[in-house]
Amino acid sequence: MASSLKALLVEDTAVDRMVLSFMLRKFHCEVILAKNGKEDVDMFLEGNKFDIVVCDKDMPIMTGPEAIKKIRAMGATDVKIVGVSADDNAMEAFMSAGADDFVPKPMRLEVLGPMIQEVINMKNN
Amino acid sequence: EFRPRPPPRVAPADSRTSGSEPSRLAMAAAALRAQLNALLANMFTTGMVDEQFQQLQSLQEDGGSASGFVAEVATLFIDDADRIIADIAALLDQPVVDFDKVDAHVHQLKGSSSSVGAQKVKLACMHFRQFYEAKSKEGCLMALALVRSEFCDVRNKFQTMMQLEQQIAACGPK
Repeated sequence: MASSLKALLVEDTAVDRMVLSFMLRKFHCEVILAKNGKEDVDMFLEGNKFDIVVCDKDMPIMTGPEAIKKIRAMGATDVKIVGVSADDNAMEAFMSAGADDFVPKPMRLEVLGPMIQEVINMKNN
Repeated sequence: EFRPRPPPRVAPADSRTSGSEPSRLAMAAAALRAQLNALLANMFTTGMVDEQFQQLQSLQEDGGSASGFVAEVATLFIDDADRIIADIAALLDQPVVDFDKVDAHVHQLKGSSSSVGAQKVKLACMHFRQFYEAKSKEGCLMALALVRSEFCDVRNKFQTMMQLEQQIAACGPK
């Protein structure tokens, strides 16, 4: 699957950052890293554009759902935002904040692949 | 289901090659790969690691330039988990335990153990939850002992795995 997607990975845990960024690069995404929700929001405030954001829930300084609310309020309504968490109760928090999808950790390639393809299809259309 | 990689076929020794350095190295590598496969099979059948670890292995195999990815992730996990367990122990050592911080640390360890496929550590973290929710210091200490025990087991196995991979690499290319 060829892709020139720009992905923002928002994850405070080093192990998860490594695994998720490797998976995204496997689908040929350019991966930018943020370690918490505030860095996530700052990326958008600096004018960066992303095709997809993969965002953890519980992070220091600012949580994933808090960051997603701010990003959507800034007008970034086109970017696909996927919440990921090992917390069983995270789905509602992400979806009510404005995420498009929620995936429980650990992320699987067979789940990530179709999401990437969906974003590619939308971008090409 | 875990399928171990078969050891490479080694040509039978003949009068021209028996005792030569390349054939000795090939035989040594084959023996090491057999050890590595047995180790990995044991880790799966005992439930120490789950299909997420298998996914990391397949990511490495498909990745071309990604050799060493599993070792890198395992090393990062070991360092992270070591630190988190020490932090939890320190929190439980306080006269007044901050159970919210214990919760946060255990949650973090559950997440990273899940991402690396360290199933028994993940399950031990899930077992931990009932004790910090009940604000039971004694329960938390017992749960931490289990987490530490499961972590030590998987850490030892990961370290052995990485040593075998290094020894195999030292034997030269296949």
